[in-house]
Amino acid sequence: MPLLAMSLAGNAAAHRLDEYLQATLIGIARGSVDLEMQLTPGVAVLPLVMSEIDRDRDGRISGEEARAYATRVMREVELRVDGKPASLSLVESTFPTLEEMRQGLGTIRLKLRAPRVEDDSAVRELRFINRHLPQVSVYLVNCLAGDGLRVGRQQRDEAQRSISFGYSFGKSADPAPAWFMRERFWLAVLGTVLLARLAMLTSLWRPRSLSR
Amino acid sequence: MVRMEWNHDGLQRQLQIMTKIVSLTLISLTATLACGLARAQSSSGVSTGIVAGANSFLTSLNDAQRSKVLFEFNDAAQRMKWSNLPTTMVPRAGLKMGDLTDAQRKAAMDLLALTLSKRGYEKVLAIVTGDEVLKSQSDGGGGGGGRGGRGGGGPMFGRDLFYISILGKPSVKDPWMLQFGGHHLALNITMVGREGILTPSLTAAQPAKYTVDGQTVRPLGAENDKAFALINALDEGQRKQAILNYKVADLVLGPGQDGKTIQPEGIKVPAMNASQQAMLLDLAGEWAGIINEQAAAARMADLKTNLPETWFAWSGPTTNGMPAYYRIQGPTVVIEYAPQPLGGDPTMHIHTIYRDPTNDYGKRSAAK
Repeated sequence: MPLLAMSLAGNAAAHRLDEYLQATLIGIARGSVDLEMQLTPGVAVLPLVMSEIDRDRDGRISGEEARAYATRVMREVELRVDGKPASLSLVESTFPTLEEMRQGLGTIRLKLRAPRVEDDSAVRELRFINRHLPQVSVYLVNCLAGDGLRVGRQQRDEAQRSISFGYSFGKSADPAPAWFMRERFWLAVLGTVLLARLAMLTSLWRPRSLSR
Repeated sequence: MVRMEWNHDGLQRQLQIMTKIVSLTLISLTATLACGLARAQSSSGVSTGIVAGANSFLTSLNDAQRSKVLFEFNDAAQRMKWSNLPTTMVPRAGLKMGDLTDAQRKAAMDLLALTLSKRGYEKVLAIVTGDEVLKSQSDGGGGGGGRGGRGGGGPMFGRDLFYISILGKPSVKDPWMLQFGGHHLALNITMVGREGILTPSLTAAQPAKYTVDGQTVRPLGAENDKAFALINALDEGQRKQAILNYKVADLVLGPGQDGKTIQPEGIKVPAMNASQQAMLLDLAGEWAGIINEQAAAARMADLKTNLPETWFAWSGPTTNGMPAYYRIQGPTVVIEYAPQPLGGDPTMHIHTIYRDPTNDYGKRSAAK
């Protein structure tokens, strides 16, 4: 027991102990969006994470348990394109051994994919949110660079649980401003007001000679 | 009828002028060639010296050791066998420093010294010594606060647990690679002729500050101080662009993330003035300058050329002494500096990564 305690203490100095690191890379290609998730539980939070994975408490991760956990993570992340939720499918998953996880070395890798996004030429707005085990997690989320991909200003919350940005292939990726935010709209409003004012002034004006 | 006569005096003058021009041209050409040759000899001299150092190290080994230290140049698995973690957790291949005789160890360190610049070699020694300090803190159970230096019965930290390996045959012509690393250090140095490519490499430190013989050592002190100087040299508007509004808990493109490039963020270098740009370049030089001076000069020139497309991003407080993450990202470079909240004070545990997305492991250079 003291040996185990020393071993864990050594691990503590070497890497993350009491946090569940959830790093997501968003890969956008023409017609698809992939999410690469790397989930690394620290030694101290492993019992909590394992209680979510090893449902039959037999001390190992069966294929069925791995699939169930991957499905749970998939349910607890959300990807929206142009405000509409994209249904994700699991492309691949790899789970480390329990021994690797006990040493704080185990990283669960999931690859999720959104169905084909139509009309690649448009400027699209993407939003990703991760709601999986927030009480013990720290997050990283980034968009990968891709051929011809243009990404606008990325906005995240402070904890990096969510990210949103505009993207396109070959166009400026900052989404077009709403119609009421456009300069042309306000110029038109100003012009209309001036014309109306002019019309009012014209209709009110009567030569004095006629009014006598 | 027009009669042509030779004007001997004029012709002689013209011939003299022509001779002078030809002579001056020849002298100038010879001087240029000589300088070029001298430069080439001097630069190839560096490569020749490194190859000689590598052969000297290999000669010092017995057959069994040589078979352990040598790998094929294209051994992708061995290339990627590096980590920030202790070697007891993520095993490295090659020869362990602790298994070498004094003479073999000296030959290995001499090779490293030849390959790196003076300050690069000193940085490496400071990181390795830091791991020895971590080991002594852990073994003593004192300063480390019970961190423990042993995993599975053997030591987890210390200078004996660093590994060396060579991929390919050391050559002044053909590409080959030298790897040196362990806990908190991974140097992947690809030599291609006169080129020396240091990417990807990981430098880290824990403790980030320690005392040896009364001298305070900060292996990554310059990386910290120069970055804080830069962020504080930006005006309010520039800082608003540079500082990210979110926390960055770790390296994004650390070990295991080869071949990936993320979208850049922060302030783009053209939005900085000349002095700030020079500070950024100097900061990047803390990584680019680890390799020997000749290779570092070429790398710095490359970084300077790509400055207009380079970004600087910051996350965290701007007061030196506080933990802050930063990233320098350009077409041929990614540098990340990330304090780790592990083992207590994040400023005492730093991870950094240095990459060239176009030439990690010297792939582009070797393909030429």
